[in-house]
Amino acid sequence: MAASATALSSFLSFSIRKSLPTSPFKLSPEPLLPTNFCCLCSKTKRPKTPPTFSQSFPSKPLKFKPSQAKSNDIDTTFFDEINPEEEINFEPVEPPEGYVPPPAFDEGLPETEEEIAAAYEEIYGPAYSGFTVLGNNIYVMDSKVKKTSAFGKTKKEKIRDGLEERVVQVRRVTKVVKGGKQLHFRAIVVVGDKQGQVGVGVGKAKEVIGAVQKSATNARRNLITVPMTKYKTFPHRSDGDYGAAKVMLRPASPGTGVIAGGAVRIVLEMAGVENALGKQIRSKNALNNARATVVAVQKMRQFSDVARQRGIPMEELWK
Amino acid sequence: MTRRYWNINLEEMMEAGVHFGHGTRKWNPRMAPYISAKRKGIHITNLTRTARFLSEACDLVFDAASRGKQFLIVGTKKKAADLVASAAIRARCHYVNKKWLGGMSTNWSTTEMRLHKFRDLRAEQKAGRLNRLPKRDAAMLKRQLSHLQAYLGGIQYMTGLPDIVIIVDQQEEYTALRECVTLGIPTICLIDTNCDPDLADISIPANDDAIASIRLILNKLVSAICEGRSSYIRNR
Repeated sequence: MAASATALSSFLSFSIRKSLPTSPFKLSPEPLLPTNFCCLCSKTKRPKTPPTFSQSFPSKPLKFKPSQAKSNDIDTTFFDEINPEEEINFEPVEPPEGYVPPPAFDEGLPETEEEIAAAYEEIYGPAYSGFTVLGNNIYVMDSKVKKTSAFGKTKKEKIRDGLEERVVQVRRVTKVVKGGKQLHFRAIVVVGDKQGQVGVGVGKAKEVIGAVQKSATNARRNLITVPMTKYKTFPHRSDGDYGAAKVMLRPASPGTGVIAGGAVRIVLEMAGVENALGKQIRSKNALNNARATVVAVQKMRQFSDVARQRGIPMEELWK
Repeated sequence: MTRRYWNINLEEMMEAGVHFGHGTRKWNPRMAPYISAKRKGIHITNLTRTARFLSEACDLVFDAASRGKQFLIVGTKKKAADLVASAAIRARCHYVNKKWLGGMSTNWSTTEMRLHKFRDLRAEQKAGRLNRLPKRDAAMLKRQLSHLQAYLGGIQYMTGLPDIVIIVDQQEEYTALRECVTLGIPTICLIDTNCDPDLADISIPANDDAIASIRLILNKLVSAICEGRSSYIRNR
């Protein structure tokens, strides 16, 4: 028996779904937003660096994007569509014949520590326990840790996952304290494969290289996909703003190239867009303009998606 | 997901006091659909919903365990600490029953450093090298070891981030819940009348103050995990 489905907008729908053919629960329709975002609320999203946790009790649904949802096959769809107003009857499945309820966890025979350790080790390996009962190597977790070499700086790791980095701006920023001035470097980096994934990141450190690395890590956490047509351009015009920066993007015919300034150009190039026009309208701040292009790009939709969503043929959209 | 029988009956839950909530003044209005009545200044939760959610949660947990996923049980209230530890040991899961350090999962690389230190200290203790050091050093290392054992003892077998997290009291473990949400880890949470049901993936409205009620719910979940594990081992 399935709960009937009017999904209230205040419930989360995580992107952890696998449609099982035998599932008795009806899956809610695909959200209109690109699948990176899992909130059904209509607030505009600003692509920002990972949000700081405020301890005040939240009054609105969350806007967090899961950065490492590894458990893609855990099916929590039942709980996405719960209508709390509706009456649910609890009709338990019939117990199988001769069902004996298992003992509670604190009753039953107490196990010795060795038995417990052996059982854990069977399942997980010795991990960080420091001793083995079954004779495995207790230093098995060492290979996962990066070794700091004795020379000081570790070798710079090559580009790990096909995302190219480009530095937009490196600035020296100062904090004045009682003892003098403390200098740091702030790097803004745009990361992208040329296939439609881009991310903008910021990072600060005392050395330029460290700052660049930090910002690259940050950028990899905020990747978005750019909707692109077959001629490597946008589907339609759009403008986005972030802070005081406003950016206007416009598609162009093939052969035009990317005609845009500074930060906007770098973001579009790293996304793999080959033909586009862009203009920074208000502020010229590099970071804000990079973020504004990301906002603008997120607002774009492919024609086919919109047509499918609205249930009309694509020709109607071009009238 | 097939539905199985989990021996959830409403009389047992009423005996354990699962249906009691917190005082009327402390409620969270989002819990309104799960509250059935108000009696003597305390909200009473709707047990049929609880039973339904609990059985669905058990199904989910059974399914995940039969696919070999890793679980983490978080419960730091003083009343619940021992229960959480014994439940997790029974189910062979990881657990956190002392304070949940901020950034345990989002800052996993730093937690791993601590786990490495823990492992090295343990290995040295086993090998007996701690007794050969001067008394002061030995005492310092032993203190560090006991500290790490208290906080990280439950996750010493954890090689990576867990796949499902079970949280006992949402108000108490708010940081843990937030971290799981940022990382996208599905969570099962025991919700009381002063908690927010929208934060966790699966919220089970229940009483988080009474030891009996926590024990009952953990019992069901743990038996589901055990069954799932045994079916995983059988089908491997």
